[in-house]
Amino acid sequence: MPTVDNPAGKTLAELGAASPDEVAQLFSEVRALFDNQAAKQLDPATWEALKQVWTGRKSGVLTLITDNWLKPATPELKRAVGQELNKLKAQVESTLEARKRDVESLAEHAASAKDRADLSLPGVLRPVGTHHLIRQVFQEIEDIFFSIGFSVVEGPEIETPYYNFEALNIPEFHPVRDDMDTFYLELPKGAPGPLLLRTHTSPVQIRTMEKRQPPVRVIVPGKVYRRDNPDATHSFMFHQIEGLAVDSDITFCDFTGTIDYFVKQFFGESVKTRFRPSYFPFTEPSVEFDVSCVFCGGSGTAKSGGTCGKCKGSRWIELFGAGMVDPAVYGFVNYDPKKVSGFAFGIGIDRLAMLKYGIDDIQAFFQNDVRFLRQFP
Amino acid sequence: MKVAYNWLKEFVDLSVPAEEIASRLAFSGTNIAGIENGAHGAVIDAEISSNRPDCLGMLGIAREISAIYRLPLKPVAPKPAESTSAKASGAVRVKIEAPELCGRFTARVVRGVKIQPSPAWLKNRLEAAGVASINNVVDISNYVLLELGHPLHTFDYDLLRNHSIVVRRAKAGEKLKTLDGIERTLDPGIPLVCDTDGARAVGIGGIMGGGETEISFSTKNVLIECAWFDPIAIRRATRFLKLHTEASTRFGRGADPEMAETASRRCAELILQLAGGELLAGVIDVYPGKRAAKKITLTRAEFLRVMGADVPDKDLEAILSALGFAPVRVDDNRGAANSLLAAWECTQPSWRADAEREIDLVEEVARVYGLDNFPPRLPVARIAAARLPHHEAETRLRERLIGLGYHEIITIPHVAEERNDLFRPPDAQVAKLANPLSEEAGVLKSTGLVTLAGAIEWNLNHGQRNIRLFEIGRQYRLVDGKPVETRVLTVGATGAAREQGLYDAAREYNFADLKGDLDAIGALSGGFRWEDGGPEWLNAAKRGTLRLGQEGNQPIGAAGLLAKRVADKFKFRQDVFLAELDLGAVDCMFYGVKNNRRYEPLPRFPGVERDFSVFLEDGQSFAEVKKAIEALGIPEVTSVAAADLFRGKNVPAGKYSLLVRVTFQSREATLTEAQINDFSGRIVSALEKTLGASLRAA
Ligand SMILES: [Zn+2]
Repeated sequence: MPTVDNPAGKTLAELGAASPDEVAQLFSEVRALFDNQAAKQLDPATWEALKQVWTGRKSGVLTLITDNWLKPATPELKRAVGQELNKLKAQVESTLEARKRDVESLAEHAASAKDRADLSLPGVLRPVGTHHLIRQVFQEIEDIFFSIGFSVVEGPEIETPYYNFEALNIPEFHPVRDDMDTFYLELPKGAPGPLLLRTHTSPVQIRTMEKRQPPVRVIVPGKVYRRDNPDATHSFMFHQIEGLAVDSDITFCDFTGTIDYFVKQFFGESVKTRFRPSYFPFTEPSVEFDVSCVFCGGSGTAKSGGTCGKCKGSRWIELFGAGMVDPAVYGFVNYDPKKVSGFAFGIGIDRLAMLKYGIDDIQAFFQNDVRFLRQFP
Repeated sequence: MKVAYNWLKEFVDLSVPAEEIASRLAFSGTNIAGIENGAHGAVIDAEISSNRPDCLGMLGIAREISAIYRLPLKPVAPKPAESTSAKASGAVRVKIEAPELCGRFTARVVRGVKIQPSPAWLKNRLEAAGVASINNVVDISNYVLLELGHPLHTFDYDLLRNHSIVVRRAKAGEKLKTLDGIERTLDPGIPLVCDTDGARAVGIGGIMGGGETEISFSTKNVLIECAWFDPIAIRRATRFLKLHTEASTRFGRGADPEMAETASRRCAELILQLAGGELLAGVIDVYPGKRAAKKITLTRAEFLRVMGADVPDKDLEAILSALGFAPVRVDDNRGAANSLLAAWECTQPSWRADAEREIDLVEEVARVYGLDNFPPRLPVARIAAARLPHHEAETRLRERLIGLGYHEIITIPHVAEERNDLFRPPDAQVAKLANPLSEEAGVLKSTGLVTLAGAIEWNLNHGQRNIRLFEIGRQYRLVDGKPVETRVLTVGATGAAREQGLYDAAREYNFADLKGDLDAIGALSGGFRWEDGGPEWLNAAKRGTLRLGQEGNQPIGAAGLLAKRVADKFKFRQDVFLAELDLGAVDCMFYGVKNNRRYEPLPRFPGVERDFSVFLEDGQSFAEVKKAIEALGIPEVTSVAAADLFRGKNVPAGKYSLLVRVTFQSREATLTEAQINDFSGRIVSALEKTLGASLRAA
């Protein structure tokens, strides 16, 4: 307990202070007294007592000085006393506040081992769900294309041969149909025309152009189906994002620029891109699009030193097919092929996700094992 | 297609290594699967796309290389010595009765050949290309096929009866035993090569010859057939017969009709060289399908419109010439090089049925010139982009469910019909597959429930017990034979709602968890109305039908405990809760509710809570209590909530005790004790009177 052996209990006259210098001298004695008491080792109780002694409303030192020194002071001294008192007050308050932080922190540190939180224990785990990885990749791609003016549209998964094949310049007995083994629906007698499960998202190109006049800029996320026996790299259902841009002035350069932009956003600026001529009935010129292998940095050599397993040492990974919309397609949607041009692409989402995250079995996406789902929160 | 490097040298003077050629081919449109360095030199494995049958031969690949490197292509001009005495026209007659299937048929005859094994160089070439050697004459026809890309067939001339060949449609059900020893049943879409004026079939035109007239080691005289068959007819026939051959691949994609006679001559030349004999003078050439070459105009304006960057005249013309398009400048500015007004008249080569439009020429020039010569740029968007109409509603719903602990799943909609029927409403018509891969994947799901239950099953079978899943997907049904795909939200949960942990006791997921979670998403759309009843797949004691908006609106879904009968089919040994909602209605209400949502000022005066503890008969619902209180019309009643519920100790049998918490609050003033006592008194008597409820001391 600090003792109150200080001059504040007496008036200035009693203390014999008659000049501003003498007042200042008195205050510096009081300050020294406070500093001395505040510097001592404190705990919450002694801190509280110190606070009472100095700032207590009834008989704290500051109150006593106000009552005994300031109020009865002669007009000549009043100003000096007032200034010194304010200084003292500010010092006492800020020192007390600072000491309080020290005292609390000391007390918390001193808490017994029993009360201390064990940081190696888990917190209360509220169950939180996850976005499906395919959905995450869809969203990422949608956002990239949305940012450069592509709207998002959808279409039916059960299609007619017209939209899935004919209007895309794939007539019956076209060799390309052999590569797209197709599921057909069993229809009741008398039902109009055959129905199939779309083998690509491209039918939505046709459906979109039927409804809208150029400029058209859309992407189409969705499920597609091919009648392949399931294994680690084949699923008879998988996902695509179709892209289509048609306008009065779209060229091949716009097409490669768009794809280039997308890939750099998705895989990073350092990825390299290349286009190889290819063939699809609904695009011309058609290309296959490759990116430099994201696993070996395009070196063909794995970190361990051997051949990169992902690109098999070729330094490139084939991503998807695309091209300029074949003018024949415009004929099916009443666009004038002499006035408009455009490009289209179809990105396989599952494969992209497998590449990006190193997943070696496409079936994992559709088994929906919660242990798999939790890996991609 | 295996391309032997050394073989290519017969057509172009190559000085660059095979690796470089392969790479240049890959960047001009010939996909390369790999290169092998074998006993007979480098062999490039080229994957020829279906539009380029001309590249299914060394000559075609050599032509591509000649265009890439601007090297001259050596001409193919075989000149076999012919008999001075005997003419082919005296030895065989040919008639095409089905010109729509067979556009050209040529025949040559070589007499006095010696069938023997092929010399080493021929065997090696075939081996490099992956073809087994049989005898010299058969090997020669395979060699010419690989070299020129045109299929041929050789007959033992003496086994052909009366040497009057007819090409006609097969009769329905007509049979022929082909070279591979299989008897095949034909149909009228199939071109048939016959002898004896059409009486006996000796080969399926363009696909495979017959077994009875095949070349053997005793063959003395050979008839060389080199024809042209219609690609669509051949593709139709191969599908019908399920028979694919080297010949059918080439004819099916479109062979070069002009090449037929040349290939026949090349074949005769090689036979004379390797098997001896005498070639009868002349050729029988029936050619009803001959057509004049098509003219195609290419303008620089169109090239620029499509490609966005230019190619100089010099390169453009060199590329088109090398590929056989014979470009000729036809515009009025012919003197000006690289004129923007330049136009070229080109001639479609007979081997390029795929290239008949201006856009095809644009592609030819661009691909050979090199696609990396066209600088990428990002086009300006001229219209605002829009998300899917349900994007916001679906995103909010998805985020909320994930926050509530549900994992989003994606399932394959193909399911077993038997399982699908467990959830299918009786009036919903199933969308069944005509050609499923298996019965387990025989129909498209009529509800999302069947695949969600399947996902729960997978997890339970893989050691997971506490599972919360949802799927935003489609259900597939037929309505009057027309497909209807409906967007649905399916939710499923089982196991612990809360697991035993450091701080909490375990609790099983129950109906109230499902209801609470669904109400949390329902709040986004104005709140669900829960009503009694529901579909058969739910347990009748623990299920509800959900509606949105006004009373009497159509139900939008159902939720509850999976019925035991259904759970048993999945071998579920723990309670499984499922719900399915029509997303169309949920999304629609989401936007309606959102747009009508308005700020409500917060009350300035404190609210007061009073608890009422009532005994109710089993079967009496909380809703009845709430309704009785609300019927009093006391405006200061701001909430009526169920605070606690119990049965058992101190509660008579057949009854239960419900603690009802009522909040009173006024917007005008702080409520007095007297006001609150008055409200409470009215509530007590209303509950006693309308429900016969007895009150416990609260
Ligand atoms: Zn790599």
